[in-house]
Amino acid sequence: MSAHANQAYLNTRVSILATRLFSPAVAGGLAGSTLEEISQGFGLPAILDQGLSARAKNRAIEQALITTLLAELCILIRPMQPAERALVLNWGRKYALFNLKSLIRGKLYNLDPREIQDNLYHLPPQVELPVQELLRTENVLELLRQLEQGPYRFIAHQAREVYEQKREPFALEATIDQLYYQSLARQVRQFHDGEQRPLQVVVGALLDQIDLMWLLRFRFAYGLSPSETFYQLVPSLRLLRRDLLLQLANLDSLERVLESLPEPLNGLLAGSTSLIEVQKRIGRYTAREAHQVLRHSSSAVARTLSYLILREMDLFLLFALTQGKILGLPADVVAIAVELADPNCPMVGRLERTVA
Amino acid sequence: MHRLMRHLRLLVLTEDLPRASLVLAETESFQPDPRPLYESEFPELPGRHYRDLYQQARSRLDKIGKLVPIPEGVDIPEIHVVETAELQALNDWLGEIWNECSSYEEEFRTLNDEVRLINEQESALANFANLNVNLSTLRTKTRFLDFYVGIVPRDHLRQLEGAVGLAEHLLFPYLVSGDQAHVVIVGPCGVKEAQLTAVLDAAGFQNLPIPPGMANEPAKLQAELTARRSEIQETRETLKATLATWSSGFRGRLEQAQRTLALAEPFVDLDPSIRSLGPLAFIIGWAPAQTVRAIEARLHERLAHPFLLETRAPLAEERAHVPTLVSRHRLLAPFVSLVGQYGVPRYGEIDPTVLFAVTFILMFGMMFGDVGQGAVIALAAWLGRHRLKQFALFGVLAGLSSMIFGLLFGSIFGYEQVITPLWIAPLSDPIYMLRIALGWGVVFIVVACLLTIYNRAVMGHYLGAIFEHHGLVNLLFYLALIGGGLQVYQSGRFGWIATSLVLLSLLALAGYRWHELSAPLGEKILVVVIETMETFIVYLSNTLSFLRVAAFGLNHVALSIAIFTLADMMGTLGHWVTVVLGNLFILVLEGGIVMIQVMRLEYYEGFSRYFYGDGHTFAPLRLRAPAP
Repeated sequence: MSAHANQAYLNTRVSILATRLFSPAVAGGLAGSTLEEISQGFGLPAILDQGLSARAKNRAIEQALITTLLAELCILIRPMQPAERALVLNWGRKYALFNLKSLIRGKLYNLDPREIQDNLYHLPPQVELPVQELLRTENVLELLRQLEQGPYRFIAHQAREVYEQKREPFALEATIDQLYYQSLARQVRQFHDGEQRPLQVVVGALLDQIDLMWLLRFRFAYGLSPSETFYQLVPSLRLLRRDLLLQLANLDSLERVLESLPEPLNGLLAGSTSLIEVQKRIGRYTAREAHQVLRHSSSAVARTLSYLILREMDLFLLFALTQGKILGLPADVVAIAVELADPNCPMVGRLERTVA
Repeated sequence: MHRLMRHLRLLVLTEDLPRASLVLAETESFQPDPRPLYESEFPELPGRHYRDLYQQARSRLDKIGKLVPIPEGVDIPEIHVVETAELQALNDWLGEIWNECSSYEEEFRTLNDEVRLINEQESALANFANLNVNLSTLRTKTRFLDFYVGIVPRDHLRQLEGAVGLAEHLLFPYLVSGDQAHVVIVGPCGVKEAQLTAVLDAAGFQNLPIPPGMANEPAKLQAELTARRSEIQETRETLKATLATWSSGFRGRLEQAQRTLALAEPFVDLDPSIRSLGPLAFIIGWAPAQTVRAIEARLHERLAHPFLLETRAPLAEERAHVPTLVSRHRLLAPFVSLVGQYGVPRYGEIDPTVLFAVTFILMFGMMFGDVGQGAVIALAAWLGRHRLKQFALFGVLAGLSSMIFGLLFGSIFGYEQVITPLWIAPLSDPIYMLRIALGWGVVFIVVACLLTIYNRAVMGHYLGAIFEHHGLVNLLFYLALIGGGLQVYQSGRFGWIATSLVLLSLLALAGYRWHELSAPLGEKILVVVIETMETFIVYLSNTLSFLRVAAFGLNHVALSIAIFTLADMMGTLGHWVTVVLGNLFILVLEGGIVMIQVMRLEYYEGFSRYFYGDGHTFAPLRLRAPAP
């Protein structure tokens, strides 16, 4: 197929898949559904398996949802050009990096290989790590050296250098995340013309979200210095660019950071008092930007990425709902947790009082 | 022909499993069946711990082997069962050895890093001069100023610059080479120093100390760096010698470890086909029918405890899982590879290799018939036999076939008058040649259809054998069409018998398709009409496709005529040069095209009709003991 035919095919494919995204009504309906209905509707038999513990059920459901998401990703990358495929695959590789972190933690705490393996996601071969080889390594350094011989070599090499210097799991994991998002931003910059702008919007929104959360967490939860915090951030392609991040990292309170944000983040996050609240609100910003690109852009790769980001959000919503139901939490609490109900309802006050 | 296979279920005591696996590996006639059969009755997987141990031990031995040479192939003088305890002990010992080895590995890496640093220092030497500061002041901290000189990954430079700025320091990159950047960082001494250190660690900053004498004695410094490089090389050699001395004490034991792992491997390979319940375990797999008795006899001879060996023929529904064991004659080896490019015969399916070999060689000869050029092909293949390996035989056979057809056509290096054709000179009667090719095509397609019918019947797909594409009804239609066509050629009329047979068979095909198809009425009509028409068109075009067999034979002669016409325009030397180059041109270009065309006929007109090709080759359990 020619490049134009591929674009048309991919756009059609994305449009068809986009009909699976949850509308507000569907999402609201899900909150009121029983576990049986969710199990039937989404092909999640593990929900009803009485032989499984709550933890095992959640694990099986999470795995099934990730499998669904990555199966769709694999379908969508087939007609793509190499650069497009590399970008979308790289986005999906974050699940492999989750596995990498589990492997690193397992090696750090000398866990049994079988135990480590039980905590890994099963991923399609396009994004999978050489898990068996990595499991057979004796320590973290050997694991990272082993990984330097494949598509993850860049991340593995730099992560190893940092680990060799600091010997600290936090620095190692932060470096892995930082390198991952840097590689996404670098790939977007390689696109030209009509592709780059919509990609900047969607990947930029993703980076804005990540940067703000990391900045607030590193500065005010972990107490890192402005320079350390700034170094770990990845300048966004959209709002939180390098100069702004430099200013924000130097501020000394959550409120001052939120006040200094540009629009629309400023308006959206005004009045937020906790990291959880910021996380919820900025998540809406990312979703809104992705929806915009999905509806109005003609770039097939940007629409694909937007679809996958939105689909991931939906599947996590579904996961959160089933988790809440499996744990037997009240429906209104679950609805608030997954943002289907207004957090300012009296329930929130009640919960806060209970916690206090 | 394929050989019959049997499904085996060997019930043994769990403690006998490692020995049973060794016995099965020795017979080289048993392929494990990984399907989870009898999962509910035998829920346990007894080999998992053994497998984990084996894999870790194997991985450790392989890693050790990269530093300490271990002979690739070791013989196994005595076969014994490797118990879990022995494997555990071996794995622990290999762990200790690897622990030591990895420290050597780390030292080698450190030396490499030092060499890299020296390289960086050398390349930085000249560039330090570009810094408009007194270098001796950069060597040590002052009361108020703090200096860092070093290298960072190039990608981190901009981010680091910002971070350093937040710690009230300044960063100057003075050299960027490859993926590294050389930088100088300057700032006030004080509380922010600690912040900066954390950032530099996170950025992978490598300190590049400014040696004394840098500012005023660069030649001396260069000599020092060279000396340091030599020292590192000496250290490396010493380290290698130490490693060799250290490892000589246990090299024999490493060889023994190689043997032990080879003996443990069959049990690991069997892992997916073993299940157990307490003391009782079973192994399932496939074996050629004629080897079952030998397997049973060997088990009786070697197993200490009683066992039960149950065998049965493969069930119809598990045919896709049965491995295929096909007898291979040495002469067929190159054709096996070509057939393998398309697929492996499904169990029970006719192996097309012989038919492929015969028809391939025949068609190649007919399309490229020339005694001289055939001899060149055969000779070249023979001379290059060491490089071409099994394909040398392929070249020799193709060349011989070309020579035989050359004799039949009376052609040698394109000369048509030198030898008398034993059969016919193609250009003397092109119509006759085309008729022969057409007849060959009909025979080829009929044989392909018969094979399709047989293969489907063997698979138990009887309706498909009768009604589906290339089935019995299709064959009837095709034969009626060919018969009718012959009558038209001879008497000008298609004939009522042929007409009736064509119509009836097309109706039967359409009726079957109608019955099979589940779609709305309009779509059903459309699909059935189009597919019925397609049957007619496809068979007609497939038959005409074989005209190329004659066409290339004629083309060969025509090309030769063209070359001789050109040659005749030259002087004596020019004539012979043209003839030689022309023959080379024909050999390379036309030879290549003919090869591709024959392959196309085989794959498209033949294999796509009758060959499932989705089987898997019988891969028996073996004792891996590579020859020394």
